[in-house]
Amino acid sequence: MTVVQTAPASVPALDPPDRAPRTRRKGDGLTAWAFLLPSIVGFAVFFVYPAVRGVYYSTTDWNLLSPPKSVGLANYRAAIHDPEFWKSLRVTTYFVVLSLVAQLAIGLVLAGIMHRLLRSVMVRAVLLLPWLVPNVTIGLLWMWMLDTNLGFANHLLHSLGHGTEGFLTDPNLALPSIAGITTWAGIGYIALLFYAGMLQIPQDVYQSAQLDGAGEIRMFFGITLPLLRPIIALVLVVSVIGSFQIFDVVAVTTAGGPVGLTKVIYYYIYEEAFHHFRMGYASAMALCLALVLGVLTWVQMRLLRASTSDLG
Amino acid sequence: MRRAPTLIGTALLAAAAALSACSSSSSDSSNGNVTLRYALWVDTQAPAYQDCANAFHADHPNIKIKIEQTAWAEYWTNLTTEVTAGTAPDVFTDSVAYYPDFQTNNQIVDLEPYVKRDHVDLSHFRPGLADLWVRDGKRYGLPKDWDAVALVYNAKLVQAAGVDPASLQNLTWNPTDGGDFEKLIAKLSVDDHGRRGDQPGFDKNHVKTYGIVLDLDAGAGGQTSWGNLAVANGFQFLDKNPFGTHYEYDDPKLAETIAWIKGLQDKGYLGRYSQHSSLGSDAVLASGRAALGMAGSWMASTYLSNKKVDFAFAPLPAGPAGRHTASNTLSDAIYAGGKHKDQAWEWVKFLASPKCQHLVAKRAVVFPAIKSASDEALSAFRSQHMDMQAFVTETSQPGASFLLPLTDHAADVAETVQNGLDGVWLGQDSPADALKKVNDHVNGLFK
Amino acid sequence: MPHLTTGQRVGRTVAQLVVGVTVVLTVFPVLWMVRTALTPAGDLFGDSYGLWPHHPTLINFKRVLGMTSSAAARAAGGSGAQLDFLLYLRNSLIYTIVIVVGQTLSCAMAGYALARLRFRGRTAVFGTFVGSLMIPPIFTLLPNFALVKQLGWLDTFPGLVAPTLLMSPFSVFFLRQFFLSIPREVEEAALLDGASRARIFWSVVLPMSRAPLFTISLTLAVWSWKDFLWPLLVGRAENTRVLTAALGVFLQQSPNAEPDWTGLMAASTLTVVPPLLLLIFFGRRLVDAVGFTGVK
Repeated sequence: MTVVQTAPASVPALDPPDRAPRTRRKGDGLTAWAFLLPSIVGFAVFFVYPAVRGVYYSTTDWNLLSPPKSVGLANYRAAIHDPEFWKSLRVTTYFVVLSLVAQLAIGLVLAGIMHRLLRSVMVRAVLLLPWLVPNVTIGLLWMWMLDTNLGFANHLLHSLGHGTEGFLTDPNLALPSIAGITTWAGIGYIALLFYAGMLQIPQDVYQSAQLDGAGEIRMFFGITLPLLRPIIALVLVVSVIGSFQIFDVVAVTTAGGPVGLTKVIYYYIYEEAFHHFRMGYASAMALCLALVLGVLTWVQMRLLRASTSDLG
Repeated sequence: MRRAPTLIGTALLAAAAALSACSSSSSDSSNGNVTLRYALWVDTQAPAYQDCANAFHADHPNIKIKIEQTAWAEYWTNLTTEVTAGTAPDVFTDSVAYYPDFQTNNQIVDLEPYVKRDHVDLSHFRPGLADLWVRDGKRYGLPKDWDAVALVYNAKLVQAAGVDPASLQNLTWNPTDGGDFEKLIAKLSVDDHGRRGDQPGFDKNHVKTYGIVLDLDAGAGGQTSWGNLAVANGFQFLDKNPFGTHYEYDDPKLAETIAWIKGLQDKGYLGRYSQHSSLGSDAVLASGRAALGMAGSWMASTYLSNKKVDFAFAPLPAGPAGRHTASNTLSDAIYAGGKHKDQAWEWVKFLASPKCQHLVAKRAVVFPAIKSASDEALSAFRSQHMDMQAFVTETSQPGASFLLPLTDHAADVAETVQNGLDGVWLGQDSPADALKKVNDHVNGLFK
Repeated sequence: MPHLTTGQRVGRTVAQLVVGVTVVLTVFPVLWMVRTALTPAGDLFGDSYGLWPHHPTLINFKRVLGMTSSAAARAAGGSGAQLDFLLYLRNSLIYTIVIVVGQTLSCAMAGYALARLRFRGRTAVFGTFVGSLMIPPIFTLLPNFALVKQLGWLDTFPGLVAPTLLMSPFSVFFLRQFFLSIPREVEEAALLDGASRARIFWSVVLPMSRAPLFTISLTLAVWSWKDFLWPLLVGRAENTRVLTAALGVFLQQSPNAEPDWTGLMAASTLTVVPPLLLLIFFGRRLVDAVGFTGVK
């Protein structure tokens, strides 16, 4: 999950009002453009230009080996009629829902406990470890732990009297297992985000509630959660966008199998581009995904703006 | 000053550029020395080809060979990605099944001019091998080796079941009741309570030893599993092979075969596909979790050099249409995007020469394509007490070995077939339905 | 401290248990990975699942670090391929450090310009940057690959770092927001003294911004360290292959029989060591940084 490419919680002020008297009226044009030069160059060459080219490629039959030929909207029509495309969107959605529910629920509970009970930096640091480790490593590690014959998980199941489970090869278990793996990887980070948000809640709110006789659990649901709403909304936005783009773990563990039940959209696009040489088609699907995510982000940003913090 | 940050940035880019100078491309010809990259997938053969590389370097001191090994499962996708990026190895092991795709995209070099120029002797290869690589008068590879598939079994487990090993030499099979073959598999299956598969009360949900383990991930031709049985049932892949354009995967004879294999899974004689682990068939057999398997001759040294388990080979069972084994052959191809094609040709020529193939034969890991080298490999196997007779018996009968499907769109066909069969193994589709869909899709590629 | 009821005591214990279990669940797989890395490949089949292998060995680490011969590697369960994870470690470090330094500086400059400098087009530029936050990386990945290929930068470090070296919309946004929030008085005073904007930025503002700069650097470092698909596509040659891509390739190079688990775990351990060190030395700041990024 990447935080770097997502929208923040607070509403951006595009033009802050001047509070101090201006000493230069003629503007800082030259300086400003000099300061902006590296970013703008990077943005133009490696963001805008590829984005435009991406749209162009999506209207061709390009296969990276021969020059592209235009095919109009054929790729888009193909995508709409492609059962694999819709299947991968379904698979991705199922994954996002599973992993989101798990991470949010567990993250909130963990953060709540740490906030009210256990302010240890060491605990928080340890929980952060999976977030620092590459997803490739995490995928390999869990593929090993969940292995049918040699994995620790099945060894544990056997010693408890249960039979073997093909966690990553059984059609019913594969995607939930992937969701479990990414939950394991993200839980510390999510909990920390919530924890930081909870820190902003003034302690006296809790103290007065305790004086009124409220228990921890009641305070959690009655005070913490409602006050945390904007943070929860932010984490939701970040997680949905991030989860929709899961790739590393799937690529290393199941490669989309079994029978495409873990073939998330990002992996399908990668496969079409680099295994089947259908760059044009892959670009079209990437554009569709970008649109879907763009709409999702925009919707969530609006919901964010609508929900003002009860902290004032 | 203002310049400081940008200075740092420039310095960084310069450093990066300087570092990139270390990451030169595959072949560095700064002083006439060339390093060629050579790709293969069978790890047991890497030492044999290293012998060839060393011998080649002795003859051509300015050419060095760097061997790159990628496991079979990813070899082709890895190679195609490299071809896409323009960074494929100079020479790579090519398979009969995959070379047409490279050829249609002009990614491999036509060797015929080189062959004619250097008067390469093509008659010393086993009959039929060299011509498989010719299409439209152009030659896309020189034969490297050939292989066949046989039954491999754990001698101790077979003995413990009270089965006479001699009976394994003439097994019969049919898709209806499985013939001798299924009886043997049932007998070799043992559940957690010690009951065998042919005894009442066999618990198919708690099996300790499976009668058979099969490689169900076996590509468009089922080379190491279903393909052999299907052809023994009278199935034919294509209207003509090589370079047919109409597949016949919807033939009921294939569906029967697939259904029989699925039946083994249901009866508890074959491990469930939904639980297949990272272990290959040979590891499963080596651990005693299964008693019988199908193995390619390229795996022979892996099995026969296992000190803990006594493995032996037997010919495949004979079906209604006789006994048939998939016989595949590999070649070495020159990448069209390589920068040192002439040197690459020298290496390919050497790989196809008696000198190199005899070096490979001595290592007893594979049967090289040159007749004399192939015979020498047989002797080498024998001298290491590895009995390869089963493979020889199978391939010596005329018409017994069959070619895997060789057509365009190989990668797509393989993927479609595998996905379709996965659905059957996982119980999500009936064999007839799955194969019909596969056939329609695959034939659609040729329109 | 107020007297705790039994219920509260039970609740507390349960809560502590929950945290304890989570910590164990977090740490155990990592420990298991190291344990496997120290196990000889032949022993994998044994039934021992203790926390410490029966015959611990360093051969797997030696294999992946390129310190054994090909034959020895094969004997120990590997595929005989020559691996050099030290080289890949170097590449990952270069990749990470170059991007962190480059992007932090470049985005700090941009953020400052957008926060403090007055010029025509400021709104447009900022609006464009913010808008691009909504476009997921996948959309520019394929064309960037084609672009880098056309520039002849495949398998080079410039090609690897190019797309992210100079900016990311998030970094610009984040730093701009921060620069907006620092008091103007110090800068105004320096301006009155005749200092140029550049001097103010470099000597006044940047030193004041250590926390957010550190935050962004850390976030970028973690992101670059974990990056997989882009380096896999662009850094295929040995000299540019990073740890994550190398792990993927290593998996592909396993002997045909099965993945080389002990070797893979040894290599994986190497990818965990730098983050672990980071955690040990900068644990508190890391933890705070995460909160900072999220909440602001």
